[in-house]
Amino acid sequence: MNSEARSFNNKGVALALMVTSVVLVLMMIFGVMMLLNQGNMIKISPQFFYKIMTIHGTGMIGIAALGGSAIMWYFLSKHIYLNSKVFFSNLILSLFGVILILTAIFGFNFSDGWTFLFPLPAYSSGLYGKTGALLFLSGMLFLAIGYLIMYFYLAVRLTMEYGGLHKTLGWDYIFGGKKGYGPPPAAVATTMVIITNSIAILAGAYVLVASILNIINPAITIDPMLAKHLTYAFGHIFANCTIYMAVIAVYEILSKSTERPWKSNKAFLVAWNCSTIFTLMIYTHHLLMDFAVPKWMLIVGQVFSYANGLPVMVVTAYGALMIVYRSAIKWDFATSMMFLAMFGWVAGAVPAIIDSTIVVNHVMHNTKWVPGHFHTYMGMGVIAMIFGFMYYFNKTEGAQKQNSYDKLAVFTYFIFFTGLAGSFLYAGKISAPRRWAEHLPQWTASDQVGAICGIFIAGAALVFTTRFIIGLTKVSNNTIAEELKSAS
Amino acid sequence: MYQSIAWYATLFLVFLLALAFAIVYGESRRLREYGPIQEKGYKIRKFYFLGLLAVMGFASAMSLSKLPYHNQHAVAKEHAKVVEVAGLQYAWEFSDENFTVGEEIQFRVTSKDVTHGFGIYNTKLELIAQTQAMPEYTNTLTITFEKPGTYKILCLEYCSVGHHVMMKDIVVKPKGGNDHEL
Repeated sequence: MNSEARSFNNKGVALALMVTSVVLVLMMIFGVMMLLNQGNMIKISPQFFYKIMTIHGTGMIGIAALGGSAIMWYFLSKHIYLNSKVFFSNLILSLFGVILILTAIFGFNFSDGWTFLFPLPAYSSGLYGKTGALLFLSGMLFLAIGYLIMYFYLAVRLTMEYGGLHKTLGWDYIFGGKKGYGPPPAAVATTMVIITNSIAILAGAYVLVASILNIINPAITIDPMLAKHLTYAFGHIFANCTIYMAVIAVYEILSKSTERPWKSNKAFLVAWNCSTIFTLMIYTHHLLMDFAVPKWMLIVGQVFSYANGLPVMVVTAYGALMIVYRSAIKWDFATSMMFLAMFGWVAGAVPAIIDSTIVVNHVMHNTKWVPGHFHTYMGMGVIAMIFGFMYYFNKTEGAQKQNSYDKLAVFTYFIFFTGLAGSFLYAGKISAPRRWAEHLPQWTASDQVGAICGIFIAGAALVFTTRFIIGLTKVSNNTIAEELKSAS
Repeated sequence: MYQSIAWYATLFLVFLLALAFAIVYGESRRLREYGPIQEKGYKIRKFYFLGLLAVMGFASAMSLSKLPYHNQHAVAKEHAKVVEVAGLQYAWEFSDENFTVGEEIQFRVTSKDVTHGFGIYNTKLELIAQTQAMPEYTNTLTITFEKPGTYKILCLEYCSVGHHVMMKDIVVKPKGGNDHEL
């Protein structure tokens, strides 16, 4: 890639990371406010609570996807040519979607949660007016279209480079007996994300359009159960894919830092093919308490949720441990975050898998156990990967150096995130419901512990973000210097 | 019971995981050739994979025989009391509110507006059973109350700004109406 294209690419990645880091801190502050209110430490109105709950969920998933796609784009562009304009188009559509969503929530009182279960938005539009619901659903649709365009472009590029998505997933190695190693891990992971997330987005787009039409004309309806399937197929897979995009940073950074290869051998390719299939199948674990769903489908939800833990536990996390073991790795901010993020991912998968057991789900579904496990693998997994990548980006493309504040911030982030996740899981153990603006006195102690931990986490995230934004100035200086050098 | 199993199993497994990461971190400053590490690592991985499969298979076999769906499509048993339940923003409507210890109850749960979650909490405020309350669908939840007292029905699916006030108390009487058991 020439320096001009690289510079344009880096600008897109830097901009996406900047938006990600700033929004992340804001969303963390909203999260802390919710816990403070549940713990009776502050008093906000229920309507405001549910508004910030809606933006917290939407915003966190949105920025995890944006940060993850920045990682995916950056590393994939090291292996194949990518046109940065496509990345910018996704960024612009995402930001436009975010503006619509923010206007819906804070301008028109939309507070139906990021999973917008049909027919809730239609009912709420009867109370608060149609504008809020229409703006929110349209905003989500713009976000979806942005990602769909990007995935379509990536599918075309990967097909041109490797001869088809089946080849990028290594089918000629798995089934064709081809020897050696498959495409780079970044390409394999991207292919999995393209396939699963495109299907998820199409499912989401269907239910979004149906909901919009239903609000405009109530005579147009959709079956609530079908809508629920489509909503969770979208939400579950979209959230999962944030990890599968971000984990590319683990492959690339740990491999480079240990000077050991992390190549796509047969086990690696089989694992990613399994993840592709399982991720599409297991959204039904969100419907385990919908007894009207065919039983076989719910059993599939449990069994394949278990199975979906295997690729990460047996291949990716195990691979991270193996590559670091006796490697004389130089620990810095980026490598520490990648290593700890793999721990966070698997640590979050454990309570998630347990919750997908139907008899357990029967007494833990929609308690705080659920945010307990997804805060673990999102906060200590995906977000840690994104923060680690931010430092790596500034160090590689600029001149960022680690200081003692970074070490302290990493320590603070993980220690208090363990406390936060523990407080959520414990609250789930004692049956505290999730998404309640006010909690009964029996549950408030866990909320208070979570709130205090959340304050420290937000503080650490503020340090990461500030350091990243300051470090970006050196990235732009270096890029200009390189451009001048190449011009001369 | 399942809440405690989930909690302690998570603590134990995450502890093992942390131990593995700590050991590898402790060994990370030493340097050895990667080839032999890979060779040995792949051998260990086979057993690790089979071990995980065995644990998951055992957990599936143990848990899938006790699913709460058995009465969903069955005809109501003669001895079971059928109670129609409807959720609506922000209240629960019951066709019958007389419950006695030891009596099998089939709650036939639906919704008159948006999706709600029908969660039954016992006298210690522990969640003992739940199902979704969905418009156009009926979910049958079968339960036998084992102790007398005041139970709570809480909404467990976000249903808009009054979600947290959607609570209802139900009183389960002792067998034979002996109030002293309360």
